[in-house]
Amino acid sequence: MNKRILMTFCFTFGVGAMISLLNPTPADARIKLATLPDREAVVVRFDNPNVVMVEEERTISLQKGVNNVDFSWAGTQIDKGSIIFRPADPAAKVEILSTSYPPGEAALTWQISAAEAMSVKFRLSYLMANIQRETDYRMLVSKDEQTCSFKHYFKIRNWSGGRFATADFVTRDGKKFEKGLENGEAKRVLVNSWDKVKLTKEYVYDLTRQPEGKVLTDYVLKNAKEIGLGSIPLEYGKVRIYQDDGSGTTAFTGEDWGRFTPIGDDMRLNIGIAQDIKIEMKKMVNDVQNRRGNVYDTDEVDEYEIKNFKDTEAVVTLVLRVDGEWEMKATTSGHDSFERVDNETIRFKVKAPAKGTPVKLRFHYQKKNVW
Amino acid sequence: MRLFLLVLVLAAAPLCAKEELVTLPKRDSVQLTIYNSEDLTLVRERRTLSFKQGSNRLQFSWANTLIDPTSVELMPVGDAARAAIDIADTSFPAESHEMLIWTISCKTAGSYPVEISYFTSGISWHAEYVGVVNAGESSVEITAYVTVNNWSGEQYEDAQVRLVIGVINLVEKIINLAQPRHPVPPPAPAPAAPSEEMEDDLRGMQEAMDDPDGDGMVRPKEIKKSGLSEYYIFTVGGTETIANQWSKRLRSFVVGGVPLKTAYTLKPREFGPLFTKVLEFKNDEEHKLGKEPLPDGVLRLYRDQGQGRLGFMGALVTKYIPKGEEVKVNVGPDAECTLAEKRMSLRKKDLMFEHGWLTGWTTVEEFEIEVKNFRGRAVEVEIHRVIGGDFDFDSTDTFEKEDAQTRKIRFSLDPNSPRKLRFTVTTRHGRNSRR
Repeated sequence: MNKRILMTFCFTFGVGAMISLLNPTPADARIKLATLPDREAVVVRFDNPNVVMVEEERTISLQKGVNNVDFSWAGTQIDKGSIIFRPADPAAKVEILSTSYPPGEAALTWQISAAEAMSVKFRLSYLMANIQRETDYRMLVSKDEQTCSFKHYFKIRNWSGGRFATADFVTRDGKKFEKGLENGEAKRVLVNSWDKVKLTKEYVYDLTRQPEGKVLTDYVLKNAKEIGLGSIPLEYGKVRIYQDDGSGTTAFTGEDWGRFTPIGDDMRLNIGIAQDIKIEMKKMVNDVQNRRGNVYDTDEVDEYEIKNFKDTEAVVTLVLRVDGEWEMKATTSGHDSFERVDNETIRFKVKAPAKGTPVKLRFHYQKKNVW
Repeated sequence: MRLFLLVLVLAAAPLCAKEELVTLPKRDSVQLTIYNSEDLTLVRERRTLSFKQGSNRLQFSWANTLIDPTSVELMPVGDAARAAIDIADTSFPAESHEMLIWTISCKTAGSYPVEISYFTSGISWHAEYVGVVNAGESSVEITAYVTVNNWSGEQYEDAQVRLVIGVINLVEKIINLAQPRHPVPPPAPAPAAPSEEMEDDLRGMQEAMDDPDGDGMVRPKEIKKSGLSEYYIFTVGGTETIANQWSKRLRSFVVGGVPLKTAYTLKPREFGPLFTKVLEFKNDEEHKLGKEPLPDGVLRLYRDQGQGRLGFMGALVTKYIPKGEEVKVNVGPDAECTLAEKRMSLRKKDLMFEHGWLTGWTTVEEFEIEVKNFRGRAVEVEIHRVIGGDFDFDSTDTFEKEDAQTRKIRFSLDPNSPRKLRFTVTTRHGRNSRR
């Protein structure tokens, strides 16, 4: 005999889920006398970078035979196609026979077959829009800029229309925290904290990053165990950087977006401009050579004068670019080391002595077969 | 929005006189054959009608539905009916686009079964798949569903449902044929199905699904698959009632433990410019599949997070997958396995001039591809590098020639390790080109 057990999960969570035990009722009427199965074990997962998945458990009392279970989610933005409904125990003697979608409603009806009258725990999974997540970091750098403490925060904002009285929120790296979250509410939680993380400071001249030719100050964190990180991939997020000022307080020294950094990779953070280091570039030679019809070579010398007005020596990285076919001449001078990053890019390291003593990088190169 | 079949008792009455006594024979059965490549459904319904000796008139009307009037046919069923009745003519009254009248001559009075068939627009079906990938990404459980959507304006009760996979040729769209020649208001949205419809639905379900294993359980209906010419037909067991404007999803099959391979792939022609994670399996017996082609549809992939919990991996539209074909599912880029290519050097040579102007030259470019696996397990990597123009390719890495413009390499990459590939492309330009 067919059982007309109607149950509605009203997704306005305050109303809750409802089971009705009426005689056959038109599915479209959606007026039910109901008992309310509690939501159990709600998990909100952020392990996919683009979507949020909600899983919840409900214990439903089924009668022997075919039961109809309604699920409605008016006022929320559930991806209808993503809904998965299954018994929490795969061995449970129940079968989901079909899913019907009524017209014009954020609702569906499952037909569930049960071998006997029993209570079964079901797990309901779905993707839900408008639960925003945000990662941010707080970095406190030691006065000598050798180490830092690094705190990882996870912020969630709920615009989904649903309410979570209590739920486990799971971050991409598997960190779990239990919180309640009302509709419209946001919460920020400290999920990871690392101390005494080793830090590298770099001064960088790179016109693609700073077109005015000012020198950038970067901190570089390697996401690896040897510097005190390396336990999880670091999510993209804003990093606010403070520094111990040596008098018991801290000063805000800048902020940057930290890109997603897998374990083993570097996170580079620009904290601002190093105003005590100045670089002036002059084109000293720009000759055309070896003309053949409309094709020629060039001989070029670019001179970079670096002045470090700090009290201590600084190593400055100059990232320079030349297009096309070219080669560096042996007469290039003034650098400590260089690396040809790719055909168009070369990176020089130059030691700049303290107190404004100028040092010159003379970059001599020949462009070939230009037309 | 209902189909009506009226036997006009006052046989001699003129067509315009509508005050006629009629009987309303019910459908004995109905079969829907729904195509997924076109907005087309073939409806076959059987009714038993009483005929008097001589001429009988039978009115068939389909107001506010999406039936193609040119497709409506009536056929006697069985030898006795074929011997007794004959369709003399079919009239399409001027006053209605949604009605016809058959004049049927009957030799011997009696009740005879007839089949009425027609095409309708507005009923469709599509496939959906849910894949649950195990933690090691070595196998997947695939559940396939078919969903039938009914926007035809008509409710088909207790219908046998057949779903056709295949691309058929139509010279005119059924929806165009269903529209009246003179504009009339479109079908009004139907109200939600009345209660009787749902009850019928439940009855139909109960009749169709009994207790095959004797354990008190009703099982999901079996969907039988069979081939027909260039098409496949999925026949849903028992009958279904799909109310107007409702959709219904049924399970087609579930297969667990399908062996799976994961390959991080750069293949611009197939997967676009990004280095993406691709899951691979085959629709064959070795992979516990291969019993039927997999119709195109949405595949949603989840990762088993342990204790029966799921994490969402991604969703994508799959193409039709014939039996035996390899399935490659692009689940998108993975920030923990990356690929970067750099041009490490450029050289030009063999410059050719005519009248002082450059007309041909050759470039020699050295490239470096660095693949980094930040994951804690080994991964497979497959790279298809497309190169344009007249070129020579040289590498100490084991690239294979895939086609004239493409070189391919596949290798395994250890956990938390990078690999650099180097190759040189020498390209002849202008007059130097041999193409």
